[in-house]
Amino acid sequence: MDLYEYEAKRIFAEFGIKVPPSARITKPDGLRTVHLGYPLTLKCQVLSGGRGKAGGIQFAKDLKEGEAIAEKLLAMTIKDSKTESVLCEPKVSIAKEMYLAVTLDRSRGCPVFIAAADGGIEIESNDKIVTMPITFPYSSFQGRKIAKAMGLNGALHSKVADIANKLYRLYEELDLDLAEINPLVVTAGEDVLALDGKMTVNDDAMGRQERFNGWADKHMADLPERERRSKKAGLNLVELDGNIGIMCNGAGLTMATMDMVKNFGGNPGNFLDAGGGSDSEKTLQGLEIINDNPEVKVILLNILGGITACDEVATALVEFMKRHPERKMIVRLRGNNQDVAEKMLAASGTKLYPDLEDAVKAAVAASK
Amino acid sequence: MILVNKNTKVLVQGATGKMGASHTKRMVAYGTQIVAGVTPARGGSKVPGTEIPVYDTVKEAMDATGATASVIFVPPYLVLDAASEAIDAGISLLVVITEGIPPQDTAKLVAHARAKGVKMIGPNCPGIITPTEALLGILPGSIFKKGPVGMVSKSGTLTYEIALSLSDANLGQSTCVGVGGDPVKGMEYPEVLTMFENDPETEVIVLIGEIGGSAEEEAAEFIKANIKKPVVAYIAGQTAPPGKRMGHAGAIISGGKGTAESKMKALKAANIEVALTPREVAEKVAKLIKQPVTK
Repeated sequence: MDLYEYEAKRIFAEFGIKVPPSARITKPDGLRTVHLGYPLTLKCQVLSGGRGKAGGIQFAKDLKEGEAIAEKLLAMTIKDSKTESVLCEPKVSIAKEMYLAVTLDRSRGCPVFIAAADGGIEIESNDKIVTMPITFPYSSFQGRKIAKAMGLNGALHSKVADIANKLYRLYEELDLDLAEINPLVVTAGEDVLALDGKMTVNDDAMGRQERFNGWADKHMADLPERERRSKKAGLNLVELDGNIGIMCNGAGLTMATMDMVKNFGGNPGNFLDAGGGSDSEKTLQGLEIINDNPEVKVILLNILGGITACDEVATALVEFMKRHPERKMIVRLRGNNQDVAEKMLAASGTKLYPDLEDAVKAAVAASK
Repeated sequence: MILVNKNTKVLVQGATGKMGASHTKRMVAYGTQIVAGVTPARGGSKVPGTEIPVYDTVKEAMDATGATASVIFVPPYLVLDAASEAIDAGISLLVVITEGIPPQDTAKLVAHARAKGVKMIGPNCPGIITPTEALLGILPGSIFKKGPVGMVSKSGTLTYEIALSLSDANLGQSTCVGVGGDPVKGMEYPEVLTMFENDPETEVIVLIGEIGGSAEEEAAEFIKANIKKPVVAYIAGQTAPPGKRMGHAGAIISGGKGTAESKMKALKAANIEVALTPREVAEKVAKLIKQPVTK
């Protein structure tokens, strides 16, 4: 779950990382009660990147201009992400811009600091980035180490080391995948401030982070409807532009089935992993979600029962076909309780393909 | 065969839970020596539906039974603690089946296991099977046959699919290891590949990968430098769009990195045969086997 900038900044402040004073508005006239002085920075609160380039950050010289800008910003959608609110901050005079983040490095298998003492924003194209693996148990010397690796000295070294330590602490305590300050600025008054921030909460950790209870819905607002429905049902859906709906159990098998569809001349319409051990209700929900995609001509269901019992899947399938008798279905079932499933499906006239390649070829033919 | 055989004594952490109990029974039915269950506060009872004793702690279970391996079925937020207990008690092999563990927990666990020299498989994996000898995990035993093919994979059901193609073609397996689909994991390809290289029963190695990260590219380099046995690879996710997580936490193309194309290219450059379908894996393996096995 990605957080909005204002949410990330509240967390920074709570953990002792300095941020500029700010106010958040959801209506243009909300600006009348904002007393931060002018010039004022107004920033779209969106979950997508590239906000500055898209015109989502603007400066107002007075209230009148501010209200006009706020109205425009509140109506903006940036890369499919609708503006949730506008964050107002006094314009900061910047002496130096830096970058600092903590994230998990999958090839090293541990968290890392990523930092740059010059420039932020376009961090991916910055060639002065330093990366430092974080070791367990965490200790404050690691903050000093990354600040030194950034080439900082004196008072600035101490301030950035302290911020790095706080950033790691909140990254760990809140189960984040990413805690990023971009830019981390040194002001003309030699204050070090988090001017913008990005946080991603690990989805698997949401269940133990009480402060984020109930946040998921609001932060899924930008997801397409069927993807949101899938997420709520505990299914994993990614839609593509083809016309063969695909549902399998297991991520690897689902990807392999999509690839085979393509290799045999068809076009996959989606990835839908029902997961291991899915029961009939979940299977039925998955089939309904695929069925609602108007592009889909045929549904290819591929279940290789390890934990998943074939008869559970067959129960869902019989019910689904009762509801949608016109839907073209290609079904491959193999594994646990396959014989029971076969009998159930034979009664409803469904042909079963025990071989995956045969099933894929049949689905491709039916999609033409 | 590698890692496990019919003499491996195994304990199950979380054996009294619904999933743990049902899979414990399946592992026993396959012939695995499951000697103990561990659930705190359940010591003195039996794993439901079996005569397997349950202990409060891993230490007690190991002392009483001589178990050297642990299969972990406990819920995600309890895995770090349960696995740390097993490492502390001196376990040699950890197989973590649980899916949905916060990755920061996994990172701490992996660091702990590596520091103590404990072999760890998973998390979010189907486990290990040495056909006709031992099954540690949730793989459907009936699909696998004994034979000369060593398999290492990030995926569960895709492994079953490819094992099915192999078994249907009478190409049995020495051991199959599911290393799991999480971004941070215990054993990675190189360790398992080295074991297969040194295993006299393994003739051909099948490597099953998927999009995300760079483990397959690194494996390609590793194979080129260290593995003399023939390897057949299969990579899932050629049609996956960038930026979307494809089921597994680790299966995501980010910033243009981790594509199937890049992995297949790296594997081919290391003279590794890359198959495009599960059946083609079996066809390529068949050509590389010196002595076709008979039923």
